[in-house]
Amino acid sequence: MDLKTLTELNAPSGHEQALRRALLEELKARGFEPTIDRMGNVVVVKPGTGDAPRKRVLLSAHMDEVGLIVTSATEDGFLKVTTAGGIDPRVLVSKRVLVGDDKIPGVIGAVAIHLQSAADRKHVLAVRELSVDIGAKSKDEAEGKAPKGTYISFDTDYVEYGDGYACGKAFDDRVGIWNLLRILDGEYPVDIVAAFASEEEVGCRGAKGAAFAQEPDIGIILEGTTCNDLGDVPETQHVCKTGAGVCVSFMDGASIANRDLFKKTLEVGAANGIPHQVKNGTSGGNEGGVVQRARGGIPTVVLSVPCRYIHSPSSVIKLSDVESQLDLTKALLKAL
Amino acid sequence: MDLQKVLSEAAALCGPSGHEESVAAYFAELFRPFVDEVTVDKMYNVIAHKKGSGPKVMLSAHMDEIGMLVTKIEDDGSLRLGQIGGVDPRILPACRVWVHGREKLFGTIGALPPHLLSNEDRENNYRMDKLHVDVGLPAEKVRELVRIGDLVTFNNGSTALLNHQFAAKTMDDRACVAMLILTAEKLQMLKCDADVYFVGSTQEEVGCIGAETAAFAIDPDLAIALDVDHAATPGAPASATVPLDALVSTIGPFIQPKLEKRLEDCAKKHHVKLNSAVAGRWTGTDADEIGTARAGVPTVLLSLPEKYMHTTVETIDLQVLEEGSRLMAHFLSELDAGWEDDLWI
Repeated sequence: MDLKTLTELNAPSGHEQALRRALLEELKARGFEPTIDRMGNVVVVKPGTGDAPRKRVLLSAHMDEVGLIVTSATEDGFLKVTTAGGIDPRVLVSKRVLVGDDKIPGVIGAVAIHLQSAADRKHVLAVRELSVDIGAKSKDEAEGKAPKGTYISFDTDYVEYGDGYACGKAFDDRVGIWNLLRILDGEYPVDIVAAFASEEEVGCRGAKGAAFAQEPDIGIILEGTTCNDLGDVPETQHVCKTGAGVCVSFMDGASIANRDLFKKTLEVGAANGIPHQVKNGTSGGNEGGVVQRARGGIPTVVLSVPCRYIHSPSSVIKLSDVESQLDLTKALLKAL
Repeated sequence: MDLQKVLSEAAALCGPSGHEESVAAYFAELFRPFVDEVTVDKMYNVIAHKKGSGPKVMLSAHMDEIGMLVTKIEDDGSLRLGQIGGVDPRILPACRVWVHGREKLFGTIGALPPHLLSNEDRENNYRMDKLHVDVGLPAEKVRELVRIGDLVTFNNGSTALLNHQFAAKTMDDRACVAMLILTAEKLQMLKCDADVYFVGSTQEEVGCIGAETAAFAIDPDLAIALDVDHAATPGAPASATVPLDALVSTIGPFIQPKLEKRLEDCAKKHHVKLNSAVAGRWTGTDADEIGTARAGVPTVLLSLPEKYMHTTVETIDLQVLEEGSRLMAHFLSELDAGWEDDLWI
């Protein structure tokens, strides 16, 4: 399974079924025995090759992506929605979406520029003011096709472009999912618990359960993270840079990296010549926050792929950074 | 003619105002089987002539689209944008584009992540001059491939919705050009004396310039402009919109009243649903310029309702488009020598 296939599957937070099924099939085909835990995480345990007692390392990447959920339909057949996960409503205007498991095409329009007052032009359309238009002509028809609670995803294909870049939806965190699959192909001295986790975008709910249930000694989170290395953003707010390698976080909005593990990660990166960078911003949060505080506490580090325009229908990564995340994670697993 | 295929292909073409060559070439071939002569003039207007001994009629729908162009190449390799026609900057964040440089480059317009937005950011729409296009290349390479003034067009594909609705960029007004091709096709099955000029016009979005020069060159007796009108959508003022599911004829000083009545009568006779709209002054379509070409041309405006005009998801009803071609074919077929009698009385 490749990154294109993974990003084009729709798995908004709370409705990861399509990706979960695809992962189960893929993992079984590769000879693993995946299980689904109580939070809907897909979990694979792979024993290490080292002498017992071996360390037990939780590797977590989240399956879910930001999306929309239908809340109601108007009398004239337009769907009203709310967000599942953090989406800036300004990226939704004039975009295509797919509604529900039947992937009914829809569009998110906006009042034409010709009909806008000066105040309208300044006004930021809130999610409650936007509608998803599937072409339905009545409330009954709209509700029949997309009942309340139907999930909606961006209708965006995966495109490689420029100097080794890719544009698509859900790189956060299909890059981690893809690398987790590839990591499982290798042999490591430590025991690995691979958690393809649910519901990160709405509070890291899946990883919290997995960290408790799996009782790991160490946690490694594979993520996609914000990157603002183009345009009008001051350099101090770039957070990281595409093409500079995998991002290692010393701290973010949810966790402070375990100092020993953080140092070790940087040493392993340097020793193996793997491109890496220390993330120079601390905003945002991820599963590191819930894994580090599971049970009696778990030393945790977060390794992220820089992702421009994250949580939008057209996010961007540099593919070499995905390889760096894979390489550094593998090298770290061998050095623990 | 496979209407959805034609609309998808036409929408994918690059043709901002003043740069309609490829769209003109595409439509010229589609008109060709149904008319006597097809030419592309020096303004890139496509003129498809079906010869006849009766009144000389010009039908005009515009091929150009709103678009953008490169105004600056930044040192980080990103591009700055200017606009051609009325582009709503609200549609731009996270929008995919094509940059038409020495090579056609894929690009996407950046948007800040929600994690880093200040309250001030959240309360203001992006301005075009603050946005950038990301083509994934270093500045040095970008400068080799892209020059200031290169075109940037939207890249959002097309999609079919429920109830024969169809969404894509440039349905304003390539959907009406398709309507003209269908009209020419239908006319083959009808008796028609009129001397008909189907025009795919250019530069409408910057002032109906192609239609103005085409009207001078053709010197028609009467004309019909075909364009889109705002269909009702949530948030749009009801007074400025029309229902999506029926054609519209405009009434007002820029529209010849007797000819308009003739269009209404024709619609009634052939059971084509036709709503009315009122324009107190200019219509903002080719009708405005054609109407005053040379000594003046009696002109009417037939509109195809469209949701979300000037976005990448302009949405029309394909059945209404088909009905429009049926109405036009009958209108032309029934245009007799007496059409001018009592025109102003």
